[in-house]
Amino acid sequence: MPEAPLVVAATTAPPKRRRAAPPALVIFGMVWLVLMLAIAILADVIAPYAYTALDLRNRLSPPIFLGGSWIHPLGTDELGRDVLSRLIYSIRTSLLIAFGATIIGAAVGTSLGFLAAHFRGFVEQAVLALVDFSASLPFLILALAVLAFFGNSLVLLVCLLGLHAWERYARIARGLALSAGAQGYAAAVRGLGASPWRIYGRHVLPNIASTLIVSMTLAFPEVILLESGLSFLGLGVQPPETSLGSMVGYGREYLTRAPWILLAPASTIVLTTLSVSLIGDWLRDGLDPTLR
Amino acid sequence: MLRFIASRFARAALTIAMVVTFAFIVLRLSGDPAQIIMGADAPPEAVDAFRTAWGLDEPLWVQYFSYFWAILQGDLGRSMRDGRDAIVLVTERIPATLALTLPALAIKICLGIPAGIYAALHRNSLADRIVMIIAVAGFTVPSFVLGLLLVLVFAVQLGWLPSGGQESWRHGILPVITLGLGGAAVLARFTRSAMLEVLGQPYIRTASAKGAPWRAVVTGHALPNAAIPTVTIIGFMVGTLIAGAVVVESVFSWPGVGRLLVVAVANRDLAVVQCILLLVAITMVCANLIVDLLYGLLDPRLRAAPRKAA
Repeated sequence: MPEAPLVVAATTAPPKRRRAAPPALVIFGMVWLVLMLAIAILADVIAPYAYTALDLRNRLSPPIFLGGSWIHPLGTDELGRDVLSRLIYSIRTSLLIAFGATIIGAAVGTSLGFLAAHFRGFVEQAVLALVDFSASLPFLILALAVLAFFGNSLVLLVCLLGLHAWERYARIARGLALSAGAQGYAAAVRGLGASPWRIYGRHVLPNIASTLIVSMTLAFPEVILLESGLSFLGLGVQPPETSLGSMVGYGREYLTRAPWILLAPASTIVLTTLSVSLIGDWLRDGLDPTLR
Repeated sequence: MLRFIASRFARAALTIAMVVTFAFIVLRLSGDPAQIIMGADAPPEAVDAFRTAWGLDEPLWVQYFSYFWAILQGDLGRSMRDGRDAIVLVTERIPATLALTLPALAIKICLGIPAGIYAALHRNSLADRIVMIIAVAGFTVPSFVLGLLLVLVFAVQLGWLPSGGQESWRHGILPVITLGLGGAAVLARFTRSAMLEVLGQPYIRTASAKGAPWRAVVTGHALPNAAIPTVTIIGFMVGTLIAGAVVVESVFSWPGVGRLLVVAVANRDLAVVQCILLLVAITMVCANLIVDLLYGLLDPRLRAAPRKAA
């Protein structure tokens, strides 16, 4: 199979920026991300109400800054459910899915990349054909098709989103493992009689970890956007569970009467993806010259 | 050159075959295909007839080839909702989608590429900063949020434009802007980084050093080289013309292919989903093929490259 387009794609795949993020913005991103993580971990402690709790006396009550009361700081929806509590639980769900999916994608992609680099020949061609296949379909369409064929569940959703960007890790892992093999340290360990597991797990992986972590940081916001897009369409996270995207999808019905239902999760999505993108760009520019 | 073209065609055919294989495998994994394609409440004799017609009582590899053959003949099953041919159902939605995606593509190219080039040529200037801030925002603001914000401002608050539907050309303005702005931001970011990459190359310095005017260096050396990665991303955008508006069509209740896909997925109308999947894959593969052939025109080195070992 010809190699040329793969090489071109690999050098153009991650959107590139150099030295564009001033540290102040990156610090803001880190603070925001830590805040989101804290909210996700402490959701049960800090949420004022259960995310399904109804308060029928205070339906569609506005948030404080629009003349609401402290009982529901971010207002309520048309069933009187507290928007702040739902937001907190949505942050937990969305982050959990995004983390799970990013880790699955990195693990699957890296393993396949290593397999391709180790066995070469047929295995490598098969992996590269799979890379071609996933490049031939927009991921959203593929995800929608799988959801149609198999129905929906949270586990399936995480695994499905985990397949996003696997080909990027596979490409990087294969390329770096091949060049590591040529550098001699891998050959030296092999000469000492180490098993392939040991060579790739203990020697090659630590050497390419920084590149992989940067790719994960760049893929993470895309996974958040995909999950929120699917949930917005009503095909991702299913009620009574709630995620940032499904909150926006739900709030859309009340766009004219109660825009706060929609604006709170929408701005959370934007700020979170923006933060992780800024951190990712900064990490790539600072730590890792190979991704430029 | 002929070998280059032939290898690209073979590759495109292989990828489409893989998508068909994927659909075949997934369809078999998800249950009894006859029952699924015909729908749960189809009469048993109809299901049996379908099974015999599609050879589902045959061995798996025979099934695989007959499935392939049926698809080659355009037989993609019927929608379980109204029993019409899936292919007809999908193709009659294509004009509505193109009415959004084609103007949006024009906006992306006309806004994104000049903005990216300008930002790269005036690196670190105020204009560059502004372009980059908008470009990052374009990536991080999901299309459904942008679309709903536009509705909130221009339909709800100002009342200038309708919020959804497809009655007149005015209904198309907000969805086209939503699609166009997001894509323009992505394209501007790509173009800028491609230009910066090229401007840092030694041949640009050489061209300047030999006394060529800067304008000639940019148009003669920088732009053609920066075009290669930019063409890749435009190719991807062309490939998603048919199904690139899934979310935006849903936001604006626009009756296109994307809306059909969402409804079909929600109803598990598998024949329609499968049909859209194949159609999108074919469009995508054709777009990639054209991009590959364009590479050959833009970069003569690539014509020789395929013989090189990995």
